[in-house]
Amino acid sequence: MDDFFFSLVLAGISVGSVYALIAIGLNLTFWTTRTLNFGQGSLMMLCAMLVVFLASQGLAMALAVIGGLLVVAALGVFVERFTIRPALVASGGSMGWVVSTLGFGIVLQGVAAKYFGSQAMAFPDVLFTTQDYVTVLGQHLSLQYLVVLALSVSLILLLELFVRKTVWGQAVFAISLDPELALVQGMPVRLIILGSFVASSLLAGVAGILSAQIGGTVDPAFGFDLVLFGFVAAVLGGMGCSVGALVGGLAVGLISKLVGGYISTAAEHAIAFALLMAMLALRPQGLLGRPEVSKA
Amino acid sequence: MARIGRRSFGALALAGAASGLSAPRIARGQGATIKFGFTAALTGPFNEFGEGIRRGAEIAVEEVNKAGGINGRRVELAEVLDDQLVPDRAVQNMRRILDNREIVGLMAPSGSGPTLAIVDMVQADGRPIINPQAQTPSIVYPNGADKPPRPNVFSISIDNTVEAAKLATALAGYRTVGILHESTGYGVTGAQLVRAELQAKRRDARLTVESYNQRAQDMTAQLVRVQRAGAEALLVIGLGADTAVIRRNMSRLNINIPLYGTAGAVTVPYIEGAGDLVVGTRAVNHAAFGRRPMHPAAQKFADLYRAKHGTDRWYGPDPANPFVSLAGTVASGYDCLNLLIDAVRRAGSTAPADIVKALNETRDFAGATIASITFTPQQHVALKVEDLGTYEMLKEGDRVVLKLRD
Repeated sequence: MDDFFFSLVLAGISVGSVYALIAIGLNLTFWTTRTLNFGQGSLMMLCAMLVVFLASQGLAMALAVIGGLLVVAALGVFVERFTIRPALVASGGSMGWVVSTLGFGIVLQGVAAKYFGSQAMAFPDVLFTTQDYVTVLGQHLSLQYLVVLALSVSLILLLELFVRKTVWGQAVFAISLDPELALVQGMPVRLIILGSFVASSLLAGVAGILSAQIGGTVDPAFGFDLVLFGFVAAVLGGMGCSVGALVGGLAVGLISKLVGGYISTAAEHAIAFALLMAMLALRPQGLLGRPEVSKA
Repeated sequence: MARIGRRSFGALALAGAASGLSAPRIARGQGATIKFGFTAALTGPFNEFGEGIRRGAEIAVEEVNKAGGINGRRVELAEVLDDQLVPDRAVQNMRRILDNREIVGLMAPSGSGPTLAIVDMVQADGRPIINPQAQTPSIVYPNGADKPPRPNVFSISIDNTVEAAKLATALAGYRTVGILHESTGYGVTGAQLVRAELQAKRRDARLTVESYNQRAQDMTAQLVRVQRAGAEALLVIGLGADTAVIRRNMSRLNINIPLYGTAGAVTVPYIEGAGDLVVGTRAVNHAAFGRRPMHPAAQKFADLYRAKHGTDRWYGPDPANPFVSLAGTVASGYDCLNLLIDAVRRAGSTAPADIVKALNETRDFAGATIASITFTPQQHVALKVEDLGTYEMLKEGDRVVLKLRD
């Protein structure tokens, strides 16, 4: 295989799998509340910055990662309780949560800048360094890219198994279809909604750590662009569809890199938004989503 | 309770009016402070530059006040505002600064975007401004370097034209060169100038030029295009954190060609972000802090800074060897204020035309960043190619050091 093509494909699917992880996080809250947490980018940033901070305090890397993830999980509860729930109650189903979740993200950026500084912080190598690689069929494969891909796909598959094969997963599915009926049936709807925000925040945290490892630095503005690409991936694959999020993420990553490599690097990011517009115009339900049907 | 009668009230009013009338006279008198102002990226992701020049300016002000001020008048940084390198905010801040008629001289913001946004209004105002860091040549010469400069705009920064000439000398040994530049005015202008200089030096030079957006997390597409073009060396025109991303990306793609950077690229975020991979990176920067012995003004500034702030992020961990980037990030603010102070002192006046005239007559001023600063009515950019050095990054023990190679 041509080295040029191969390098683009490997980087594309690696970056795309991070987009997929973010898209799944967006899907989780969409299932339970029909809302998206646009503060996901700031949660990614905070988790990565906390890992840097805790590691710099002498904590083992594994503990630093767990610490960062615990904090963003707790913030997931905060997001549901203080930005989503009041907005849904007050606005009677309108879009107030867009502003409140964006606002939450901006506040988090400010807090991070205040306590960690606004300069880029060096992110340590968590699993492998940039110089670790394996050679397959004569091709140089970076282990950092491979670990991002493997972890992202494993997490997405585990989540899909959870939703399809466990009682709790079926409950999430039931709530996504009709939360009122689920409540009448005795399902712990409030707890499941809260759980969806915690899981979504944890996925954001993992995505933050994985993408910070690729770039090598993290600063308070980190994550915002990535959430936009995650959103594009979710819409492209079909909002609410896990397999769609994976397909959408990989497609956005691959197409961006191939366009950047073969056509122009200036078009690398623009193509993702061109895809978004085309999908919304031609197939609003996404590649693998089903059109939403409202009961009369 | 004491009551104020109509007559007493009238006397008080008269006294108040008299004191109000006399206040501006005192302010304009011999004892009033001489005020300077600026807007810069004091916070935000680029605050290493804005906070840096603020520290440099403060040291200059403290130093002159300790020595008795300017002809007995104290000096003050009266307006120091934060723009986070956002042009719109820089414009708002500069409007506020210019509305303060007591400000007699200005320092330009960090970065070409904010500086280009404010420079027209400052030119129209007429008060003198000195640019410490922004690199775009049109800040001083809007109609080209062969045309007259803006009358009240001076610069001691690393100008893109001068930097391009130095980089072209360093890169002239390679026939095929890749250039990766950020998609800002600084990056685009820098790439154009380096291309022109390199092609003037080597007619057979082949260049591949690619752009990237600041803060992009993966540069694979740009790097493999450069690799496919057969580049023998890569030049990055951008800032430190992005250069770290590029260096790490090169390592993942097993691209092992020499990496060159601009003064903005090889800064602390690069060293921290790329870790051991920085070894071998070559960069152009001020020669002032790389030469041994340093020239006296550079050594004096290094000592003043270390005494005030210690061996911090800007200075670096080694007391005897400050980071070479200290010149551009901090000492340039110190030099700007010192040049303004020197001009006011020589002019014996705070009128804008007098200060501008004195700045135009600046000859061989001993700066920390540039050993000898000269301005003339035609020449408002002080930096020359010989004021820059080409450095190579090496590891000594667990420290990264920059060795001056040329």
